Amino acid sequence: MRYGDTVRKIVHTVLEKGMVDEVLAFVPGIDERDVVPAFITDAADAVKITAASYQPYSLASILADYGDKGKKIGLVARSCDARGVIELAKRNQVNRDDIYLIGIECYGTVNPANAKEGEVYIFHDGMEVGGKKEALDESLLSANCRRCGYPIPSMADISCAIDGDGATANTPRGEEILAAANLKSQGSTVDASAIKERAARWQDKDFPDLETDRQERLDYWLRQFDKCIKCYGCRNVCPLCYCKDCALDADRVWVERGRTPPPRLFHLTRLMHIADSCLNCGQCEAVCPMEIPLTRLYHQLHNELRSIFNYEAGINIDDALPLGTFTEEETKAGGVELG
Amino acid sequence: MTTAVFRPKILAFLCNWCSYAGADLAGVSRLQYPSTIRAIRTMCSCRVNPQFITKALLMGVDGVLVMGCHPGECHYIEGNMYTRRRVIALKKMLEVLGINPDRVRLEWVSASEGTRFADIAESFTATIRQLGPNPLRGG
Ligand code: SF4
Ligand code: SF4
Ligand code: SF4
Repeated sequence: MRYGDTVRKIVHTVLEKGMVDEVLAFVPGIDERDVVPAFITDAADAVKITAASYQPYSLASILADYGDKGKKIGLVARSCDARGVIELAKRNQVNRDDIYLIGIECYGTVNPANAKEGEVYIFHDGMEVGGKKEALDESLLSANCRRCGYPIPSMADISCAIDGDGATANTPRGEEILAAANLKSQGSTVDASAIKERAARWQDKDFPDLETDRQERLDYWLRQFDKCIKCYGCRNVCPLCYCKDCALDADRVWVERGRTPPPRLFHLTRLMHIADSCLNCGQCEAVCPMEIPLTRLYHQLHNELRSIFNYEAGINIDDALPLGTFTEEETKAGGVELG
Repeated sequence: MTTAVFRPKILAFLCNWCSYAGADLAGVSRLQYPSTIRAIRTMCSCRVNPQFITKALLMGVDGVLVMGCHPGECHYIEGNMYTRRRVIALKKMLEVLGINPDRVRLEWVSASEGTRFADIAESFTATIRQLGPNPLRGG
């Protein structure tokens, strides 16, 4: 048995039965610490898919940019990818009906740059490096993954474990997929609450207490922003920065051409633009050559807004976008706060 | 002391149909309000892109007022409903970054509320005086 057998079986099935035209997933790259995204069209190639715990690109972003419009596409998705697709669907960037979300459970990923030799698999109770079982070293995980409370992609059509043959259907489409693959929907065998606690613990640790000194916080972020070389990497990799005509482009009025570090408005603009949609996918931070801890900032703001608007990005396709809606009660409330 | 000489610069975005008329009424009624306020008229409070506010703060304005029609009275029916949510989000962004969110205030002022406009101008100026110069000044 190889890790990921269940997901490979499912991908094989959906391609073979013609349920989808192509499947986007990670396949091995140049060595065991590298994976690359690939669109797979032939069922025989499903065997190439890897479930190693790396996430060097947002597949949601690649799907939106390169997925063939109008075709049925399967996506082997961790929670952050599945959530990305749902958030992008709400924003009319992809058509949810055309996408088969084949979720895999994820207990964290490692940045290959920080990874030890050998392929890495992260489990809820340990990890495996180059074929050897080890205790889980949380310090190896990407910072965003430590803060992530969604080990099980319950927002995908199905979710399945990378070890064992457990698979769960979360939607009618998920049931169709499992029936076609002759799998029974059985619910995850893992108790997600320990991972949710881990997430809460790291959020507590990473997010500055808003009650403490403002000036210290401001000085910290301004220092971070001033390291920026305006490579646009954070914007380019962000699944939610999909605008064809971006406010940060040099020919718009906001960010002048040829100046680094860019005006702080560069960072404040992106922060405001993804405040209600950030997935904590970590791509912006991973790509930043200046190692600015961007995701920490975006994630904290998104968390704060979640408690105000009762909205979390990419969880429920029926929840209205918080900055593009209002309630009946709000039209009657006189104040400037909600409720 | 600095507080004694600190004259805050305040930018006010006023919606055309209610708040600008309210400010106008304050003027023609010869109500006294602080000269700290610089007004920009927008057609609706929801024309105020949060970026306008951030940009103003980065340019060194000490406080930003956004004013629109009372809920239910927006000339464009629902523009102010979006303004409300956006300003809430923007203020949270400022807080997370370490900028006092009290530097931005949203208020509803109707065309007949000249006195209310003057009172808000007065109290917001007092708030900003207390907060002192914008820490982003010169940045
Ligand atoms: S801002 Fe960063 S963490 Fe948030 S969705 Fe974009 S790339 Fe992911
Ligand atoms: S920074 Fe704003 S305008 Fe630019 S791509 Fe991201 S969301 Fe769009
Ligand atoms: S990735 Fe980092 S250096 Fe590049 S534009 Fe974004 S913040 Fe600046």
